[in-house]
Amino acid sequence: MSAPVPAVQLFATCLGDLLFAEAVADTESLLREAGFDVVFPRGQVCCGQPAFNSGHRAAARRVARTFVSAFSRELPIVTPSGSCAAMVARQLPALVGCEPYEVWELSVFLQAHDVEPPRCNEGRRVAYHDSCHMSRELGIVDAPRRLLERSGASLVPLPRPDLCCGFGGTFLLRQPEIALAMADDKLAGASGLDALVTSDPGCLLNLGARAERAGAGIRVVHLATALARGVG
Amino acid sequence: MSGLAQPPGRFRAVAGATLSDAHVQGALEQATDRLRGGRLEQWAALTGIEELRTRAHEARMRVIDDLDAHVARFREAAEARGARTFVAATAADANAYVVDVCRRRGAQLAAKSKSMLSEEIGLNGALEAAGVRTVETDLGEYILQLAGEHPVHIIVPSIEKTAADVAELLTRAGGEPVPPELEALARAARAQLRETFLHADVGITGANFGVSETGSICLVTNEGNGRFVSSLPPVHVVLIGMERLVADLADLALLLRLLARSATGQALSTYTTLLTGPCRPGELDGPEELHIVIVDNGRSRLVGGRYREMLACIRCGACLNVCPVYRKAGGRAYSDVYSGPMGAVLVPLLAGIGNAPALPHASSLCGACTEACPVKIPLHELLLELRRDLVEQKVAPARERAAFALWSLAWSSPLGYRLSTALARRALPLAARTGPGRAWGAGRALPRLRRRYRDGR
Repeated sequence: MSAPVPAVQLFATCLGDLLFAEAVADTESLLREAGFDVVFPRGQVCCGQPAFNSGHRAAARRVARTFVSAFSRELPIVTPSGSCAAMVARQLPALVGCEPYEVWELSVFLQAHDVEPPRCNEGRRVAYHDSCHMSRELGIVDAPRRLLERSGASLVPLPRPDLCCGFGGTFLLRQPEIALAMADDKLAGASGLDALVTSDPGCLLNLGARAERAGAGIRVVHLATALARGVG
Repeated sequence: MSGLAQPPGRFRAVAGATLSDAHVQGALEQATDRLRGGRLEQWAALTGIEELRTRAHEARMRVIDDLDAHVARFREAAEARGARTFVAATAADANAYVVDVCRRRGAQLAAKSKSMLSEEIGLNGALEAAGVRTVETDLGEYILQLAGEHPVHIIVPSIEKTAADVAELLTRAGGEPVPPELEALARAARAQLRETFLHADVGITGANFGVSETGSICLVTNEGNGRFVSSLPPVHVVLIGMERLVADLADLALLLRLLARSATGQALSTYTTLLTGPCRPGELDGPEELHIVIVDNGRSRLVGGRYREMLACIRCGACLNVCPVYRKAGGRAYSDVYSGPMGAVLVPLLAGIGNAPALPHASSLCGACTEACPVKIPLHELLLELRRDLVEQKVAPARERAAFALWSLAWSSPLGYRLSTALARRALPLAARTGPGRAWGAGRALPRLRRRYRDGR
């Protein structure tokens, strides 16, 4: 009899579920390729971060409870979002008053399990954009870069990798002009490359929508897609 | 609350104007990049920067958590060395005390070195109203005074001004043409300011630190004007925020290792001055009278509360130089006094959150400020706390609170999530034309709510 297949729970996140279904599907296929069984808890909604970061604690708590109902503590949770992983790991337990979860951002999970991505980015020049919450709150900086390199991409550093792309949840809606200028700086830093890769649906939404409207000529791609199918 | 209180729309309006000024954008970018680069270089050259930051945080919090005792100890030590001290509960009390000192001495001219606290309490206005001419002697502050403007950076108050701007201001002030070259500008400013140093009746300075153990005042400057102002006039008035005390000289040395490195990228600033008491018999330099005004103005309210760590701030400006929002918005958007992340936290705390409701949201919560703070103030977490207060004290607009309440009710169950997002899919074109949707749509492609991941499985 073969050993039981290890399983993980996939947290799609609200942005992933609603806007970036392909990136979530790519996350699932990366995990399956790596030999994991992927469980998708049907009751999942959102971690409550949009409200939490705007100061609406009661609203955040109400939504975060859906996470508690949907996910079990028996299996590790993997999510293709740095900021949602940070929310679940660092804020959610105190917010709703529950035990901590074992939650992994995708790239650091793949790295921890020595997953070798397919060489689907051979000859591609890409830049990696750090999600602020992923790099500063979770300290994950190297894992996505090493995975991209192992997929064959050559990594070009951004001029100021420390600068936020201007998403910041409702920040973008409250200060749209500044947020736009921040996004433009980020995109300009990646001009001429094959893709700008990021691990956060929030950054992906902001940078992708701006690149599309401004005709920036740069593809903004989620890390899961870049690793599963290449940046194109 | 001069210069601190502001209406909700101010930040976005002023930032918008700054954003569309290419010259100011360039100046902001250049200055903040240079200062940030200098700090990073200095930090890298120190061994054990993380341990130093932790120790500095602890040194600051030891004072903050026992502030009354430190204020008492500082006053006792300073008075034992011949200084006079006064604790001002409010800005008005502080101004009244300084005006009174000037009146008693029949002062007509006051020379000032840089003090953000004096900007906070509006001292210049109070002195002018009392008939005391007040001249700023820090070059940046002098330029702003000539221009009738306020500081836009706590360390480099006039970073938005070019050499040409400065030449024009100095020409007008001195009555002789000054070419826009750095050396000529410095020479002209020096000549104009030298008169002030020699003739001032009162010198007014801020304080980087006060030392409880010795009653000393520590001044950290680069231009030497602080020494002139504190030693030439017969009266020296020091303004110090009540939280700017350190326990002893050892703690002072620890913080001095971090201050200039974090502020300007210097291992040590050009002048580090330790003043203890006025001129004593037999001494050649120093004022006859030394007055130390210890200003509360809302600070003591923060002791022991959720925001107490903000009192640890040493005003180095490192958080401004790394902030992606400050870099675009400039300092004016925040307030006439404090700006950047430290300003976004401090201004609502001092002025009252209802008087600065936009500032807690003037951040993408990226955390760069927290990472750069030499005394480890969790600035972005304090902004998050302030946002919570905005909601819980109902300062946040009713429609925002209603929107989040409604959203959270819809998303409190998988069924509600499913129904509300199905509805959103239909309503998206409509939503794109209202408030938040319009903000998004100006410059960005509309997101496409296609097939959901869960439905595709």
